Amino acid sequence: MSFRKIDVDAYDEDVLQDTELYAPDPREPAQVLSDTKQKQLAVRSALNRSDITSALTVALEGPPYGPHVEEAKNLALQIVVSVLNSTKSTDVPAVLRSLSQDEQDTLMKYIYKGMGMPGWGDVSGSVLLGWHEKLTEIAGTGCIVRVMTDRKTV
Amino acid sequence: MSAPEVYSIAQTPITCHAFNADRSQVALSLNDDKAQIYVKEGREWVATETLAEHDKAITSIDWAPNSNRIVTASQDRNAYVWSQSPDPLTGKMMWKPTLVLLRINRAATFVRWSPNEDKFAVASGARAIAVCSFDAENNWWVAKQLKKPIRSTVLSVDWHPNNVLLAAGSADMKACVLSAYIKEVDKRLVPAPTVWGEKLPFSTICGEYASPAGGWVHTVSFSPSGDVLAFASHDSSISIVYPRGPVIQSIRISTLPYVTLTWTSEESLVAAGHDCQPVVFSGTEAGWGFVGSLDDTTGGGKSTAKGGSVGRLNSSAFNAFRNADTRGHAGGVDVSAGTELLTVHQNTITSVRPFEWGSDGSVSRVSTSGVDGKLVIWNVVPVSVTGKFAGMRV
Repeated sequence: MSFRKIDVDAYDEDVLQDTELYAPDPREPAQVLSDTKQKQLAVRSALNRSDITSALTVALEGPPYGPHVEEAKNLALQIVVSVLNSTKSTDVPAVLRSLSQDEQDTLMKYIYKGMGMPGWGDVSGSVLLGWHEKLTEIAGTGCIVRVMTDRKTV
Repeated sequence: MSAPEVYSIAQTPITCHAFNADRSQVALSLNDDKAQIYVKEGREWVATETLAEHDKAITSIDWAPNSNRIVTASQDRNAYVWSQSPDPLTGKMMWKPTLVLLRINRAATFVRWSPNEDKFAVASGARAIAVCSFDAENNWWVAKQLKKPIRSTVLSVDWHPNNVLLAAGSADMKACVLSAYIKEVDKRLVPAPTVWGEKLPFSTICGEYASPAGGWVHTVSFSPSGDVLAFASHDSSISIVYPRGPVIQSIRISTLPYVTLTWTSEESLVAAGHDCQPVVFSGTEAGWGFVGSLDDTTGGGKSTAKGGSVGRLNSSAFNAFRNADTRGHAGGVDVSAGTELLTVHQNTITSVRPFEWGSDGSVSRVSTSGVDGKLVIWNVVPVSVTGKFAGMRV
């Protein structure tokens, strides 16, 4: 059965590359990481002021995507999860409504990423499910479809 | 809003449909390798003829209104042009196929006649579009292939009214505008400069566009003037491209993706797809927005559904389960009441096409066919005049 494991794409000269499907991040990987670290500080200070909306807006801005930025991606997930965990469930709908469509889509990406890594860091399934439910009510199933379709995975 | 005309043609999905010029006949494919011609008799459509030549499922049909020829494309990598000629024995008019040399090694996915009906474009999984013209010497249709910049399966094409430009949407997440100028056919037709470009030799790339979240492009369509391009992609969005600039207006929708759309005027279009209902959008270069659904999804006042809510999640069965979940009572709800959706189409709409034009040149009725085997003819005008959705512009 070894033929099933042959990577047939390796023999195809004009195979479709992942990089052809989306515009790459113009920033260098090191730049992305330092940007994300700065974001972490900004989010922390917003959380200390218990200003959830601006903490979440900052956390969802310019998410790292594409290859070679694994460290920044994990850090970004950690930042978003920290905001989600520190929000009272009664505040969730109001916070979500204040987000732009772009931010709602990005948040949904992080919710799905978090649900794919149960127990990692501070990821809590029940918190994510609560956010997912409220976000789907506001942004609709289209938001979920966009997460599944977008190749710019966070 | 006057009710749509609903015809239940079959229990199987309708892959695609194409009406003849006077709308008295329709060619359909019922998800198999044959195309059926239906003739309207009274209130019903009656199958009269079967066009059987393909040996795999038909993917697309187009009927040229003036020359009265049908073209079919299929997964068997072939296309046939069908024209009517009298049968030598009975004298009855019969549809006869003519071979098309497509030279593609994957399925043909979509086909459309050019506005002058002297060419047609076949989209395919072979990362190419075959632009076909008639070779009188050999009595067959020959193809010239457009390959760049296509990187994946082409899912739809649409002709610009000038008979030269072609828009294509493909699974590489891009919609593009290309020149399909064929010297032998278009020699007398020197294309006038358009907003898309001035000199247009074959395979000129006039523009490539993508929606913000990507998603393979299911459908592309030029506006009636050809100056604006709209496409719907699988990220549940519609994008409208104004090439000067270029300005791209993208609308993210909250429901499942649309797979087909058609313009009804320079400033409005109807889109339909996995949400099971045709939806009107309108706008200008400054901005576009959702206007309303052509479907009355209130289920005759029996349900509390609001216009614009998700069709798929709007069935009484879904509501029954949701009530059981949120309020914790399963007993009081009659789940057997039906799995029927409150929309007219009970499954994905596969194709929406203009059916009738009003006196001002805008489309007044559109036809849709769906996976539920229904063919529906909708009135477009009332949505904008009833004011039912007046407050719904976003």
